[in-house]
Amino acid sequence: MHSFSYNDMQFSVEKRDDRWDISYQLPNGSSALAGAGLFAGLQESEAAARALALIKTIFPVGIRSVGPDVTHPNTIGDLKIVGPDVTHPNFIYWNKDSVSCPKVL
Amino acid sequence: MEIKGSVALVTGGGNGIGEAVVKHFARHGARVAVVDMVQKNIDRVVKDIKDLGGEAIGIQANVTSEADIARMIKGTVEAFGKLNIAVACAGIIRDGTMLSLDKETGKVSKKLGLDKWQAVIDTNLTGTFLTMRDAAEAMVNGGWEGLLVPISSVNKVGQVGQINYSSAKVADALMPKTIVGEFLMRGIRNIRCVAIAPGYTATPMLTGMNQDALKAILEDVHLGRLVAPEEIASIIGHCVENEALNATTIEITGGLCYPKGIAK
Ligand SMILES: NC(=O)c1ccc[n+]([C@@H]2O[C@H](COP(=O)([O-])OP(=O)(O)OC[C@H]3O[C@@H](n4cnc5c(N)ncnc54)[C@H](O)[C@@H]3O)[C@@H](O)[C@H]2O)c1
Repeated sequence: MHSFSYNDMQFSVEKRDDRWDISYQLPNGSSALAGAGLFAGLQESEAAARALALIKTIFPVGIRSVGPDVTHPNTIGDLKIVGPDVTHPNFIYWNKDSVSCPKVL
Repeated sequence: MEIKGSVALVTGGGNGIGEAVVKHFARHGARVAVVDMVQKNIDRVVKDIKDLGGEAIGIQANVTSEADIARMIKGTVEAFGKLNIAVACAGIIRDGTMLSLDKETGKVSKKLGLDKWQAVIDTNLTGTFLTMRDAAEAMVNGGWEGLLVPISSVNKVGQVGQINYSSAKVADALMPKTIVGEFLMRGIRNIRCVAIAPGYTATPMLTGMNQDALKAILEDVHLGRLVAPEEIASIIGHCVENEALNATTIEITGGLCYPKGIAK
């Protein structure tokens, strides 16, 4: 079995007879099939590569907004200010990403 | 064309007629793409096809979106290497008369909203057009033998309370004539087009309705019952196999008549 994560979702590619099933994890913990009985006769590495390419086509990447992180508010008196959830894997730090930004607009 | 070994894409494949069509194809050895807007229905149908020992992928897509249509075609070809059959089952109803009158004054109290008009035209007409157009593009460029199946309705004749639905469905019923005529003109010989116009069919949409209303409908059906989705699926299967069927719309209604017996 081969697993990969894409667009915040967990996928696994599993062999059944000489074919491959692609399943993915639902938010409630159970799993669903993205595809069944695919890529007849392929080896695991080829099936995994085909599965990743297929999933990238089928499940488009959306923009997910991150936060707010309501469990860690900044407080001023009794005023609570909530910021983005910086622990979320989708959160991009400016200092990490700045190389890709144009220096001159 | 044989169903066995072919690749079929069915929009609205997560429920009702579309679900019966994908399962029919899978049972007869086709590889299928189940396209729908509702992910949990897609998941259920793909699992059922796996249990049948079939090959399937599920693609969540809205047929009114050009980008989604391109994605569903690309995903199907990526998974199975070709595309042979495209069935446009995705459809909705948003019924209402064009005008409603106030009983006391006799003046117009309500008009059918553009929201109800546009939603039905977008899904049932534009969605079908985009599905046929992009499936045909893939079939022409791939050089694969193909069949395009728009789903019309017997209510294409003009059903009261359904000006939006009937307008879309009569246009869907005309598609095979135009499409095949254009194919001939352009020298495209590998793709046929046959539309299906079902009568009242036992899908969740109808079986869940008011039972008295359903009984009244059945009084006008010569067969005395609703058409089964599997019966629609089987005629579509026949269209795949019988290449003389082309550029036409086939009605399958169980003998639906107007009250007093004129066949609709
Ligand atoms: N049931 C009938 O009596 C009957 C009669 C004549 C024609 N039809 C036509 O047959 C087709 C299927 O009808 P049904 O009874 O199976 O309906 P249904 O409601 O059971 O299934 C329709 C499916 O289409 C999907 N869908 C709706 N809008 C979509 C969109 N924008 N993009 C992708 N998927 C979408 C829905 O999620 C649903 O799974 C429709 O075109 C309908 O107009 C049905």
